[in-house]
Amino acid sequence: MQLPTLHAPATTVRTHCPYCAFQCGMRLTTGDAAAVTIAPDAEFPVNAGQMCVKGFTSGDLLSSPDRVTSPLLRDAAGAWREASWAEALDFVAQEFIRIRQADGPAAVACYGSGALTNEKAYLLGKFARVALKTPNVDYNGRYCMSSAAAAQNAAFGVDRGLNFPVEDIAGARTVLLWGSNCADTLPPIMQWFDKQRAAAGELFVVDPRRSATARAADLHLQLTPGSDLALANGMLFVAVEENLIDRDYLAERTVGFEQVRQLAMQYYPPHVERLTGVRESDLRRVVRQMASGPSMLLSGRGPEQQSKGTDTVLAMINLMLALGKIGKPSSGYGCLTGQGNGQGGREHGQKADQLPGYRLIENDADREHVARVWNVTPEDLPRKGLSATESVGAIGPGGIRGWLSLANDLAVSAPNANWAGERLADLECLVVCDSFPNETSRYAHAFLPTLQWAEEEGTMTNLEGRVIRRRPALLPPDGPQSDLWILRELAERLGEGDRFAFDSPAEVFDELREATRGARADYSGITYQRIDNEEGVFWPCPDESHPGTPCMFETRFAYSDGRARCVPVAHRPAGEEPDEAYPYWFTTGRYREHYNTGAQTRRVAKLAEAKPVPRLQVHPRTARRHGLDADGYVLAESRRGAVRFRIEITPDTRPDVVFAPFHWGGRDAANVLTSATLDPKSRMPEFKISAVRLSPAPDEEELGEAAPVDASQRTRKELV
Amino acid sequence: MIGKPRLAIVGNGMATSRLLDELVQRRGHERFDVVVFGEEPGGAYNRILLSKALADGRSEEIVLKDACWYEQHGIELRSGERIVGAKGRTLLTEAGAVEPFDKLVLALGSVPIVPPLPGIRREDGSLKPGAYVFRTVDDCLSIRAAARRGTKAVVIGGGLLGLEAAKGLCDLGADTTVVHLMPTLMERQLDATGGEFLATKLTSLGMSIRTSTSSKAVLGEERVEGLLLSDDSRIACDLLVVACGVRPRIDLAQAIGVPTERGILVDDRMRVPGLADIFAVGECCQHRGSCYGIVAPIWEQAKVLADELCATDDRAAFAGYRLYTKLKVADVEVASLGAIEAETAEDEVVQIREPHRGVYRKLIVRDGRLVGAQFVGDTQAAAAALRYFDRGDQLPENRLELFCDGAVGATSEPVDVEICNCRNVGKKRLEEAIVGGCDSVESLSCATGAGTGCGSCRGELARLLAQRRRPVPKPEAPIAAAP
Repeated sequence: MQLPTLHAPATTVRTHCPYCAFQCGMRLTTGDAAAVTIAPDAEFPVNAGQMCVKGFTSGDLLSSPDRVTSPLLRDAAGAWREASWAEALDFVAQEFIRIRQADGPAAVACYGSGALTNEKAYLLGKFARVALKTPNVDYNGRYCMSSAAAAQNAAFGVDRGLNFPVEDIAGARTVLLWGSNCADTLPPIMQWFDKQRAAAGELFVVDPRRSATARAADLHLQLTPGSDLALANGMLFVAVEENLIDRDYLAERTVGFEQVRQLAMQYYPPHVERLTGVRESDLRRVVRQMASGPSMLLSGRGPEQQSKGTDTVLAMINLMLALGKIGKPSSGYGCLTGQGNGQGGREHGQKADQLPGYRLIENDADREHVARVWNVTPEDLPRKGLSATESVGAIGPGGIRGWLSLANDLAVSAPNANWAGERLADLECLVVCDSFPNETSRYAHAFLPTLQWAEEEGTMTNLEGRVIRRRPALLPPDGPQSDLWILRELAERLGEGDRFAFDSPAEVFDELREATRGARADYSGITYQRIDNEEGVFWPCPDESHPGTPCMFETRFAYSDGRARCVPVAHRPAGEEPDEAYPYWFTTGRYREHYNTGAQTRRVAKLAEAKPVPRLQVHPRTARRHGLDADGYVLAESRRGAVRFRIEITPDTRPDVVFAPFHWGGRDAANVLTSATLDPKSRMPEFKISAVRLSPAPDEEELGEAAPVDASQRTRKELV
Repeated sequence: MIGKPRLAIVGNGMATSRLLDELVQRRGHERFDVVVFGEEPGGAYNRILLSKALADGRSEEIVLKDACWYEQHGIELRSGERIVGAKGRTLLTEAGAVEPFDKLVLALGSVPIVPPLPGIRREDGSLKPGAYVFRTVDDCLSIRAAARRGTKAVVIGGGLLGLEAAKGLCDLGADTTVVHLMPTLMERQLDATGGEFLATKLTSLGMSIRTSTSSKAVLGEERVEGLLLSDDSRIACDLLVVACGVRPRIDLAQAIGVPTERGILVDDRMRVPGLADIFAVGECCQHRGSCYGIVAPIWEQAKVLADELCATDDRAAFAGYRLYTKLKVADVEVASLGAIEAETAEDEVVQIREPHRGVYRKLIVRDGRLVGAQFVGDTQAAAAALRYFDRGDQLPENRLELFCDGAVGATSEPVDVEICNCRNVGKKRLEEAIVGGCDSVESLSCATGAGTGCGSCRGELARLLAQRRRPVPKPEAPIAAAP
């Protein structure tokens, strides 16, 4: 392993954290030693000098011995061997061409990520449509905030995570934080709630668990999993019943409220109490407080990762529209986006149904615009492709045979992980582009090593819709290459090189600006220079003299009539509810120390030591009932698989709910238990709700028949 | 020409409204020509909000479906048309029209029970001016128009609806008396002690409660002037509200030969036994011996019936419903579920009486599981009780834990919480440091290292300090100082 070549003498570069959508500003100082020093950036207004332990320790990744520095291909025995870039790229291109000839262009799929820069996300979408000519490109954001995105699009005509800068939180009288454990997942955001509460504001948290965030709240609504929609409709009932709705606002700025009201009026409090487990008195207190001044509703993955996630977010938006809160100062609805570039990643065309700037692949005018920028004819552009989980399901003879994966770990993040692993093992050619080996690369035929965040240039769009710059702080080691370079080289070999002849991320960004000109997520007025000068620029920004848009919807929504849509939505059961055989709700989430599939954070010693394994949270009474020992193991079984967890007995969860983090793969993968029931509108799998049963598990590794099937044992293709 | 089969729905209340929603969801409105006959003018309205109509006199908000909705979905609404009979596969309207059907749904609702008191009706059979039932929007609006500050009002009936009406009248400033036949209020939801606690509470709000009292006659020539009780005492009143419960409406069913007992008989698929293509839903029907007067079970019935009509789920079945009731009256908390008294010798009863606080709570436990619960004066634990009731989970061995479920308290805090993630400092150590004299975030950071990493826990440190610094309340000074 070669250490990164460092800039000398010591220089400090302002860039952003590699992890979540908060994109904390950080200062990376490189000196004459191998070490990189990382400090939070006090000048960047979003994190304002704070950072969490993940950011502080992120420098460890740059010198990690696990880093892959050479392209890898399989030898005859299925073991990895090092290969030259030329050989690896030739192999991949030939495989894709072979599959395309045998099974058609749709047989090769691309799978991107919310960790990719805007430039990469944009280029991957273009690569799929123009170089591979496949409709099948999607990304892991489908598993992140796609429900909130679908709901915001339906209600507002556009989707931007937060409609306001995070600083606005400080001015809100009330914040209703719904299904987000941001004290653990976005720790630096807590300073804004601290400010808000210091100014006599109230913070309410909705979560089935008494999470770190719930503990920090003035009131915790510990609802039944899967009942979020009923709770939101119940709140609207109270708002109507107590005459707290803003009739003028509804009349001037929305359409469709009458139908919503008629439906919501079926959610009378005792009925909602029964569905949600939330007390009527708490329900009323929240609604009265929210109606009393500037208020925000911020949602996380809890309500969104459900088979009714989109409708659930619509119910929340209906409530905020009815209270007249959207588009007003320190008020509104927001989705706390998860991945680093979860926002930009969903805007620029790596989604099966979208083209750059939120243009729609099924819209003729949108196709025409993008085709012109790409110098192809609209007829050459494929139509809408398959979403993430559907693509995985389509792997097999006559379906998808080749797969290009960038910056994600599908084998860990997909629902029903055993099934997903089986599907991936069935590919003829799986190509993984990443810095570190992961669970998905166990099934891969080629591994192409890429640069890490501190080694590359590009733009990210944070959870506020603020476009910011990732700046290189040090030179990469020999071997790894940028994803942009890899796509260019592959395009060349696929005969489309002239459309990918970019020499720098800035050149890609310039084309992205053109592709999004006039679109809903319009970046055409944003330049690298402006981002430097203005601490980021908020889209939409239609020309270089436009100031950008920190607050959206102040005067109009994105629909042509300027009005928001109220959409009537009804509660319904989850795809799988507990029953006698599987009596507990199983739900997933994150630890403060780990990020998503853990491919990075599990490699940082300090984080791995703090949280070495996933633990299943079980309520003390439930533990007693099943004879579960505080130091022991518990076997959690669903209809799809079983996982043996270490136990964490805690009253923070409800007696009928168990919880585990999803940062681990293989036999520790929480997603072995989850179900692939999809939201019909967003295609989001129902990660947050499945039914399990519990029993004590032996301490030894011998697990008997109920043993979870280790995905890695299914294939010989072990990563050496 | 073969048209679509015609689905006739008689009645246009909440059950029909929900049935139509369920049909639309299953595209049933495309499969059938749907016609709805409703007696009251206009579309269906939401009876849950009747007391709101009584409180603020607005009726438009309680509309469930306006006429447009029916039009948009291609459903024919015939409001104001009464069905008086049927012959074969046709219905007869009061106006003499003959309406064919292929499938018939009876959603006739219920009628308020009006006791046959002398003087309650005029000669034409209508209620005497000043006497009302509490049933429709019009009833609410009329009562509201008649009630003034100082109006003397009597409500006959101390059940859910009667108390709701009485509180509404109280809030409008009327001098209100509830006359109830049974020894205690809400006896179908509360045991005697619960009913007494409730009466105490209502009395404290200015209501007069007369239990174990039956009425003998309504006084007054032209209009209501008072109520004569069975002990021959009189209560003078200008306004009389009869809230003695409801009974399923079955007159039409009886007239056309549909089997009835208390209500129209239906099976688990809402079919009328022995009659093909005839169904009943809502308050008018009787399922496994039960008639329901609240909406939740009726919504479930509507769903099952929609599945039956549209053939969308042949396993859908209505299996009965376990009631959960709350009194919908401001400042008076009452909730009840399941059994109200022990039913077997083995049943275990947990009772908590707190007369000073006006709180009464009771659990009935069978084989470690909750089979009934009542809450008067404090319903905070009702949501948790409901969960055990619905899921059939074993109750905590210490039953009292149920009353604290989900409450913020010592039991819900883990042993130690890590506050500073960067320096691994737990809450315990911080509290010790505060007790040891740290009085600012800075000194706390200095002593423990917390907050010296990323700083994101500083807010939590400040909060801990504030909590610990909160002065211990001093005992109140005695009124007269000791010599």
